[in-house]
Amino acid sequence: MQIALGPNRKARIGAYIAAILVFVSLPHIMPNEYWLRIYTVTGLWVMLSLGLNVVAGFAGLFDLSYVAFFGIGGYTFALLSSNQFGIHLPFLIVLPVAAIFTMGIGFALGSTSLRLKGDYLAIVTLAFAEIFKLLLLNLDTPINITGGVNGIYGFDPINIFGLKVSSPIGYSYLVWIFAFIATFSAYRLKKSRYGRGWEALREDELAAEALGVNTTKMKLMAFAIGAFIAGAAGVLSASVQDSVFPNNFDFPQLVIVYCMVILGGLGNIPGVIAGAVLLSILPEFLREYGAYRMMFYGLILIVLMALRPQGLLGGIGFLTKEKKRPDKDESGHLKTSTDLYYGESEVAQIPEKKEQVYSKTDGIILEAKDIIQDFGGVRALNNLSLVVHEREILSIIGPNGAGKTTLFNLISGIYRPTKGMIIFDGREISGLRPHKIVSMGITRTFQNLRLFSKMTVMDNARVGRFCRTSAGPISILFHLKKHRREERETEEKAKEVLGLFGARLTGYRFNQQAIFLSYANRRRLEIARTLMTDARLLLLDEPSAGMNPQETKEITAFVKYLRDTYGYTILLIEHKLNVVRKISDRVIALDYGEKVAEGSYEDVASNKHVIEAYLGRKKDGKKRSSFTI
Amino acid sequence: MHVFSQELPQQLINGLTLGGVYALIAIGYTMVYGILGMLNFAHGEIYMIGGFTGWWVLHLLSRNHQIVMNSALVICLMIIIAMGMSAFIGVLTERFAYRPLRNAPRINLLLSALGVSIFLQNFVLNYQGAKARTFYVSSLIPKGLQTIHLGPVVVSFMRILVIVLTFLLMGLLTIMIKKTKAGKAMRATAQDLEMATFLGIDVDRIIVLVFIIGSALGGAAGVLVGLLFTQVDYYVGFQAGLKGFTAAVLGGIGSISGAMLGGILLGLSESLAVTFLPSEYKDVVAFAILVIVLIVKPSGLMGEKIPEKV
Repeated sequence: MQIALGPNRKARIGAYIAAILVFVSLPHIMPNEYWLRIYTVTGLWVMLSLGLNVVAGFAGLFDLSYVAFFGIGGYTFALLSSNQFGIHLPFLIVLPVAAIFTMGIGFALGSTSLRLKGDYLAIVTLAFAEIFKLLLLNLDTPINITGGVNGIYGFDPINIFGLKVSSPIGYSYLVWIFAFIATFSAYRLKKSRYGRGWEALREDELAAEALGVNTTKMKLMAFAIGAFIAGAAGVLSASVQDSVFPNNFDFPQLVIVYCMVILGGLGNIPGVIAGAVLLSILPEFLREYGAYRMMFYGLILIVLMALRPQGLLGGIGFLTKEKKRPDKDESGHLKTSTDLYYGESEVAQIPEKKEQVYSKTDGIILEAKDIIQDFGGVRALNNLSLVVHEREILSIIGPNGAGKTTLFNLISGIYRPTKGMIIFDGREISGLRPHKIVSMGITRTFQNLRLFSKMTVMDNARVGRFCRTSAGPISILFHLKKHRREERETEEKAKEVLGLFGARLTGYRFNQQAIFLSYANRRRLEIARTLMTDARLLLLDEPSAGMNPQETKEITAFVKYLRDTYGYTILLIEHKLNVVRKISDRVIALDYGEKVAEGSYEDVASNKHVIEAYLGRKKDGKKRSSFTI
Repeated sequence: MHVFSQELPQQLINGLTLGGVYALIAIGYTMVYGILGMLNFAHGEIYMIGGFTGWWVLHLLSRNHQIVMNSALVICLMIIIAMGMSAFIGVLTERFAYRPLRNAPRINLLLSALGVSIFLQNFVLNYQGAKARTFYVSSLIPKGLQTIHLGPVVVSFMRILVIVLTFLLMGLLTIMIKKTKAGKAMRATAQDLEMATFLGIDVDRIIVLVFIIGSALGGAAGVLVGLLFTQVDYYVGFQAGLKGFTAAVLGGIGSISGAMLGGILLGLSESLAVTFLPSEYKDVVAFAILVIVLIVKPSGLMGEKIPEKV
């Protein structure tokens, strides 16, 4: 891991040393106990905000039960470390127990509610938080568990390996140690397959899933990790104030944490910390306006969302990654727009051929049997059967609405067929989730481009590797061997794949956001992403759509090159018949969801049905005009 | 047996009253959701503001808890002014909190809505106080009509009034949506906002209209609940909002007739449930229904499932 840091290493070590110095000295320079307490509480808010940032910032989930997890942690500690039930477990056991218990509850809530779309998730989690509050308030009868409105107080003194934490300064160290651990973990998570998976699913859930990211699992992980941090913060908070009450874990606290995260910018770690610090300290100077505090928080949310959704600190140069200007070359000169498009010749794009040359075989890799797909009353595909041979380039043509993209959606698992089955490599895949199908070896592109536009070119490619890597949270947090190996391999693979496209996607473009790419380069990046998944079968949905003749020629040659040199099987939807003619081994024509012709390009193009499908049926008895395709 | 035959119709009437109010709130959620695809968190607060406005009208038209005008006129004024006030706040909300975010990520819109909700709630808290306001309704009720006996069942005048008014409002809305040009434009916009723009519908105006109607109905619900339970405080919007949303989801979010049905079903199930459950857990019924519907049939009773376009 040290090797990868390179020139940043010194700066980082410097930052660590500075942070430690500040951390050690700050509690001692607080003017009085009151400010020391605020300092301690600020650490708790920092921790809470970082946890929420994982859920709402990284994964983009609008979780309103977050404050309930905070409470679950607090109350678990209260019950296991006080006279309430006479259980007196040591702090070092209660802390992980409470955090893991909270995570378990988060997991349970998440697994029932995460299939729901954004707004429903918000409401279900809000309902959960309300029920939690009702339980806290009412579970003092018939047996006293939560203490009702009176809460629980008077906990065991904290004793860590004989080191007693009882003074305010001791508590401030305790809290801030955990705040630092949370910060450190947040950074590591963000720069890992998890972080990229979350970012991808936040930007485009469907595309992430179709690229092999198990979106349900990733959401659940975010939810659980958020709950874990909130649970731990709950324990610390309870021990700092030596009591828990239902209204410590109520809606206003939730709104405050959200404001902190929003103020700093969703997903922006230093921003979120700054937001938490600011909103912890600022109210102390505005005490006489205390009554207006919540009103003010409401306004913060509205105004920031309207004017600065990236947060007060979002997008400020030194806090975010350096962004390369797409329109300037290395020396800082403006490039002309034609350079960006035509700077490289056709030949330069395709690397020298390797010796291995593949061509179509007779083995069957994919078979669709009697597929029927209905949307309400519309039958998009009707009894469609087809086979794809190994290492074949098979083109699907047909007029708009013929069912071509529907077929892709079925094969890639986005829809489940109404009837019929799809068999890949001897196994039935119809009904599997898209990410499962990707890991079996089928990856697709989208007709209307679904790149993760705010992620860099490199990260877009890296996301494609998600399904081939498996490092878990522990491996990521501790940078274990597995994580390091996978990260290295992902990086190498990404460079290799992007390298296939020459200067279009490499060099300074590695760190350029996908949104700055030219249209043709975005199409290229979509193909690069699919190559990252180690797919055997590529589904390319109109790879040349919107490209000019020169670019079309290139992409045509490139698709053929992929098959000839690497042995991919390619299923292609294409409207440009020139492209189809040049590279297809076979062509299938669809019309109104049915296969009307199949065979070589020449056979299909001269087929009567196909001509009718494209140009319309001639009137009986009248001579067809002399169109050909 | 006797108890049951008396209890059941009584609870049915109670459920119908409550359900009508939930339906009015649910319509606001469902209309906004239908057009903007967003959950308007602030809708509960709009309802609360309607309740407060109604209280102020009644307060200003009363001397020593006795109204100074004809009671029918007072009730009409309360409802109309509250509807106007709620509609006004609804339009302001749309203009300043939602319109700037029309193309923003969903979570931003939800956060903004949450902000509006917090702001309105605390605004009312600061300027009206935390104490509940009481509606002194006794002088509003015509003499001799305090309670009405329908066979074995005793029904208060207010309940009948609320049922009549909710169904009247829902009927008017249905006619408006089905028969008028604006209603047609609204349905078109809900189906495809972009296409509606291309066909010359001023989508911004339609959205404003949706907020006016939805918020006005929410405000009316606030007044009706005030008349019925005689209390309003700054926090009522939270619960009412959750209930209204549950009703909207139950009926199928986006569907107006679904919201009406969902509201009435929710009201009925709640009032039947309180016969069996301790009243502190009454609200759990709504949440349980919500969670079950979302897991079993997220499209609700009357909602359509539209496959995601790829």
